[in-house]
Amino acid sequence: MLGTIAVQFSLTYTQMTSFEFRRSGQVLNGEMKLLLAMTPEHLEYVIRERATDDLRLVVNEAGIFTASHQPVAGELRVWPDGLVADGKLHNIVMEPEEGSPYALRFLAARAPGGHIVVLGRSLHVLDEQKLMLRHASLVTLVPIVFFALLAGTWLSHRALTRVEEMHEAVDLIMQGDIHERLPAGAEQDELQRLAGSVNRMLDRLEQLMRDMKSVGDDIAHDLRTPLARVRVGLERALSGSQASSAEALRSVIERAIDNLDQCFAIITALLRLTEIDNSKGRAAFARIDLAELVRDIVDLYEPIAESENIDFSFHCSPKEISVYGDRDLLIEMLGNLVDNAIKFTPEGGRVQISVSMSGHHPFIAVEDTGIGIQPDEKHAVLSRFYRSDKSRHIPGSGLGLSLVASILRLHNAELKILDTHPGVPEKGVCFLVLFPTSDLIQYDE
Amino acid sequence: MNSASLDGAEEIRVLLVEDDADIAEEISAELKSRGFFVAVAETGGIGLEQALTGQYNVMIVDRMLPELDGLSLIETVRQNGGRTPVLVLSALGAVDDRVSGLKAGGDDYLTKPFAMVELIARIEALLRRPDDTRQTVLRVGPLVMDLIDRKVKRDDREIELLPREFRLLEYLMRRPGQILTRAMLLEEVWNYRFTPQTNLVDVHIGKLRRKVDASGEQTLIHSIRGAGFTLQSSD
Repeated sequence: MLGTIAVQFSLTYTQMTSFEFRRSGQVLNGEMKLLLAMTPEHLEYVIRERATDDLRLVVNEAGIFTASHQPVAGELRVWPDGLVADGKLHNIVMEPEEGSPYALRFLAARAPGGHIVVLGRSLHVLDEQKLMLRHASLVTLVPIVFFALLAGTWLSHRALTRVEEMHEAVDLIMQGDIHERLPAGAEQDELQRLAGSVNRMLDRLEQLMRDMKSVGDDIAHDLRTPLARVRVGLERALSGSQASSAEALRSVIERAIDNLDQCFAIITALLRLTEIDNSKGRAAFARIDLAELVRDIVDLYEPIAESENIDFSFHCSPKEISVYGDRDLLIEMLGNLVDNAIKFTPEGGRVQISVSMSGHHPFIAVEDTGIGIQPDEKHAVLSRFYRSDKSRHIPGSGLGLSLVASILRLHNAELKILDTHPGVPEKGVCFLVLFPTSDLIQYDE
Repeated sequence: MNSASLDGAEEIRVLLVEDDADIAEEISAELKSRGFFVAVAETGGIGLEQALTGQYNVMIVDRMLPELDGLSLIETVRQNGGRTPVLVLSALGAVDDRVSGLKAGGDDYLTKPFAMVELIARIEALLRRPDDTRQTVLRVGPLVMDLIDRKVKRDDREIELLPREFRLLEYLMRRPGQILTRAMLLEEVWNYRFTPQTNLVDVHIGKLRRKVDASGEQTLIHSIRGAGFTLQSSD
């Protein structure tokens, strides 16, 4: 603020000075030119008469001197100290015997008669202007600084109050109140935008904490059940309450191993989920032909569909459709979807995979005529360990669709669960995997 | 079951580097029951010393060991010119962990917890690196596979196989008498690394078995409960 005022002041100051110097130079040179064109007598007459002339207002001092600087005519009676008769402008400070010194701009030139003509123009106006400028600046400076200080104080007080509020909110969050949020307002300034970002981060963290808690609960539940079965079985075998024949013991051990295997399957699937969710790298991503991928899966699952008497078919658009992704992960994703479709489709049913384009989005659809998914369960089936009541009797970890969702997240793809026969949930379900449009995807017409 | 040594004469020597005494005891007992000689080292340091001084046919190395970790142990052995096949045993099962295990010089990777049959099957697979370079005809008992004509015959009966069945049978025939787990078949025959929740592999094997073992013929493809499958002829 003060800097701006100082710059503005010095600019006006120098502009004013140079303008006044240029103007006095023009006046003195013009006047001198006129005077030098006169005869010596006429010149002397004009200089003498100047005392009564209006010209005095423009050229304040004038005089004629001999070559040895002796006054001949005019009101200027003393040769100014340091003046050289070179026809150039000189700024000289006159120091009268009485009064304060004052500055004049002089021009001295030799006249045809051998005398020297000296003309002087006072810089008094410039000094006055400068004084006025200084006064004006000082007068405006005070209120400007005052208002600036006032505004600054108000703004910083407001900011500090908000920072203080944020501190209080952060303290509350640190004390465990994870629902507390920073005051963000309408996010009109940087501080509010920062608070908004922090709030969104807190929302995400809260969501993650909720997920983690539910995963913890689910693990506890899903692992405890088979582990409890193992324990009960082994305890009974040890107490000998059941026939402790080698055959009976063998069956107890076999059941225990089956239950432990189920625990391991859950742990493996959970680790796999974490691995996929945490994998930042898309190092193994490459262009993948979807039809080829689906053909591989069909080849893998055909015999099992056949053995379950399920009609398993594959439709692919004649165009080459490719996506950018990790082949192994996509195989795993598709394997899980087909695995589910076959598992939940009763004998004599139908499972169909199709690959095509929806607008610019490549998609894979896995459709079955199985038990279907209730509308209110469509979101829940993607969460970890969710087993619908209808599927509880069918073996599995309950993590297959979570894995599918994780893999698709990594591919920025979307999973949609559609009814094949809207309104008739028992008539099967269609899992639609919608891939993003990518520059790397090429479509061969 | 296949418990004999490679060529039936020489004793197979296994070096087991594992710091968990219970697991080491179980593995060592199982291997010994199959006629293997087993040396157990409880720390990485001792394991390295034994690996460098003794003669072993195969090594089982736990990743996390006191003194010297498993991967450094394998790297040191490899730097010293040791070519003994190594099975890395680890609680870490992420792809990155597997990759680092194999890069360090491991030949196979097994994640804890594991089934004993899986461990044995993988050890046998390491010991019997198939000699598949020049062989064009595989024979197991009455079964003959011509890899060039892509034809399979059992005695004089020609067996028509789909490409995936051919691939599966070839894998089995290259490892006669060896237990092959479901995970191994999915990984090696189809090159997939995921656990299907359906009995996918069993169905494939079932279809193949119906073609290979016709009714009245001696069974060649055997299922082993809780383990996997094996192709074995009693001849």
